[in-house]
Amino acid sequence: MPDLLGADCHAVAERPARRSTVEAGPRRPLVALIGPPNSGKSTLFNRLTGLRQKVANYPGVTVEKHIGRARLPDEGVLELVDLPGVNGFSARTLDERITRDVLEGRAEGIGAPDAVVLVVDVTRLEPQLMLVEPVLELGLPTLLVLNMWDELEARNGGLDDHVLGRRLGVRTARTNARSGRGLEEVWAFLREVADGVAGTDGGPRAVSNVSRHAPLPIIEAFATRRRRIAGIVDEAGYRPAGPSRLSERLDSIFLHRVWGPIVFTALVVLVFQAIFTWATPLMDGVEALISSSGQALATRLPDTWFRALLIDGVWAGVGSVLVFLPQILILFLFLGILEDSGYMARAAVIADRMMYRVGLQGRAFLPLLSAYACAVPAILSARTVENERDRLATIFVAPFMTCSARLPVYALLIAAFIPERRVLGPFLGTRAATLLGLYALGALAAVFTAFALKRTLLRGASAPFLMELPPYRLPSPRSLALRLVDRSRIFLRRAGRIILLVTVVLWGLTQIPRIGGQAPPIERSALGRAGHVMEPAIAPLGFDWRIGVGLVSSLAAREVIVGTLGTIYGVENSDETSMALQARLQRDLDLGAAVALLVFFAFALQCMSTVAVMRRETAGWKWPLLQWGYMLTLAYVGALAANWLL
Amino acid sequence: MTDLVPSPTRPAVDSTEPDASVELRLADVPLRQVVVLVRIDLPDDQLEPLLERGVLPGCRLCPIRRSPFGDPIVRVDGSLLALRREMAGCLCVRRVTDGPH
Repeated sequence: MPDLLGADCHAVAERPARRSTVEAGPRRPLVALIGPPNSGKSTLFNRLTGLRQKVANYPGVTVEKHIGRARLPDEGVLELVDLPGVNGFSARTLDERITRDVLEGRAEGIGAPDAVVLVVDVTRLEPQLMLVEPVLELGLPTLLVLNMWDELEARNGGLDDHVLGRRLGVRTARTNARSGRGLEEVWAFLREVADGVAGTDGGPRAVSNVSRHAPLPIIEAFATRRRRIAGIVDEAGYRPAGPSRLSERLDSIFLHRVWGPIVFTALVVLVFQAIFTWATPLMDGVEALISSSGQALATRLPDTWFRALLIDGVWAGVGSVLVFLPQILILFLFLGILEDSGYMARAAVIADRMMYRVGLQGRAFLPLLSAYACAVPAILSARTVENERDRLATIFVAPFMTCSARLPVYALLIAAFIPERRVLGPFLGTRAATLLGLYALGALAAVFTAFALKRTLLRGASAPFLMELPPYRLPSPRSLALRLVDRSRIFLRRAGRIILLVTVVLWGLTQIPRIGGQAPPIERSALGRAGHVMEPAIAPLGFDWRIGVGLVSSLAAREVIVGTLGTIYGVENSDETSMALQARLQRDLDLGAAVALLVFFAFALQCMSTVAVMRRETAGWKWPLLQWGYMLTLAYVGALAANWLL
Repeated sequence: MTDLVPSPTRPAVDSTEPDASVELRLADVPLRQVVVLVRIDLPDDQLEPLLERGVLPGCRLCPIRRSPFGDPIVRVDGSLLALRREMAGCLCVRRVTDGPH
């Protein structure tokens, strides 16, 4: 296959050129880390690279890969790429496609790997070894890491790893990535790769569940491989680990008919409590820090357009993203603990029945829960959803979940228009009830949309739902911390760039046309005129041009409308608690229009970061545009109905 | 595998147990009863997720509990696998008498 070969050479040849723009020097060998989910692959990756990792985005492929640098004791350096956990190479999930593309050297922006480290959980050896053959067919130097060796021994299992390695034809290493035991053998392997990198053949590569040497129908291919592996494992004297007592005991609670759903609900409530209540002081702190640093900077700069751009454009833009960081970190700390401990798989099983009814599946539970903080990480985490239709449905409905950017808008409007009265004695007031109603509205819209999608655009036989339940394990603080660093980098990069760009553009629109060399009053600025132009369209909803300007500005991010309305009404230092701003709003909006605005924000996709991430994750404009249009239509109709009814 | 006609006289891929004559669905197997998989009644394009996780004709399965909403959780090769009861209804199995593997 000459063209495949050509593509391969191209990828390899391209790499030194790309690298040399960043850092000069010879090409570093690239080692791919692969393995089934929950085999401890990322823990090993973190052990080997520490903080010397970067998350890189590649054009075309929609996913960031984790690349880290391992520094060998003799100053040699090589790069490791941490690939998503996979059970096979059918390329059914996005994760599997990425893994296949990288292994085959076809992923853009990253060369073909020079060696492979395959990590398996030795307590579940047999099914995990199904990956060995396809990987060995790549013809690359390979190390089979038998991870969680300590646990195998602790649970009375055993294995002669030398026999196993000899019979499989692969080098092995016993490790416990969590404690760092057995890493010397991995380092030794990496050293050899670093020394012998020149000798890798550049031939065509393919990785697949079905051997290309002996193509068989899928079920026979698996059965043949399975028999062979069973034979080898027997020969190596494998005694599987006894069932984990702790896991059985915990499952009898967490999957209990009564206690299971109770624990599940309690944990969901806890996550909500954490992201809304406990994150608030931290978010206030970040906000105060941003505004005081902005003011400090402002007093030191001459009053020019540049200062205005820096403070009102860049600072405000960066600030509006940074303020959500504490919340996102807390969310991911919780989700990280739930995932690493093994509970999340159980939660997905419990959630599956409910999600199945609306056309989704259990694996969508984690993305949708994350979406209550922010849709951007939620859409990214939907990659683990097997079956493309389910993944698309999940990311399509995720922005309906009430993300935290809607809260300042809700808080302002509720405080201004909903008088506080008791609804359920001392427990629930009208304001809290309104907020709950808005959450319910978003969730209902999501359910309706998922239901409709699965009967129209994403119709098809329901995909099999299978969930492996890993043994419960104590999460490692080191891995959790690294993951938090990693998640915040992704969030800041993804959300930060686009919001920064849009806020700067919007700020520019408030500055033109210049009147006598000065910025115009907002009503006569380009942005103000845009508000006037759209007034006829939004008048039926009860909004005037000011709200129109707010809506346009909130395209960057929903909460921006609060600051914009403050500017338009000339209210200094306005935030959602500003009484002056509330008073001005009460003058311009009636109750119907206020509720219409709430409904509009519940439904509309006023978030460019989400649109941008959607485009990457679906590799095109079709889905993000459809989603944007659909949500806008729903928002408009909903707001119209609210204004008309009240 | 869908074309494999179930027949009491024909043994499953690696099971030669004498009591392997009763064929039933995984969804109907009582808890803690070890069974051997005979056949998967699913279209070919839905097989791979099962195969990749070691659910192959000839493998031993043991339902060890049910989820709160009645979906079976089975042990296969030392792993726990949760599947929907609809899918468990598509897995044809036979009893094994010689105890857990």
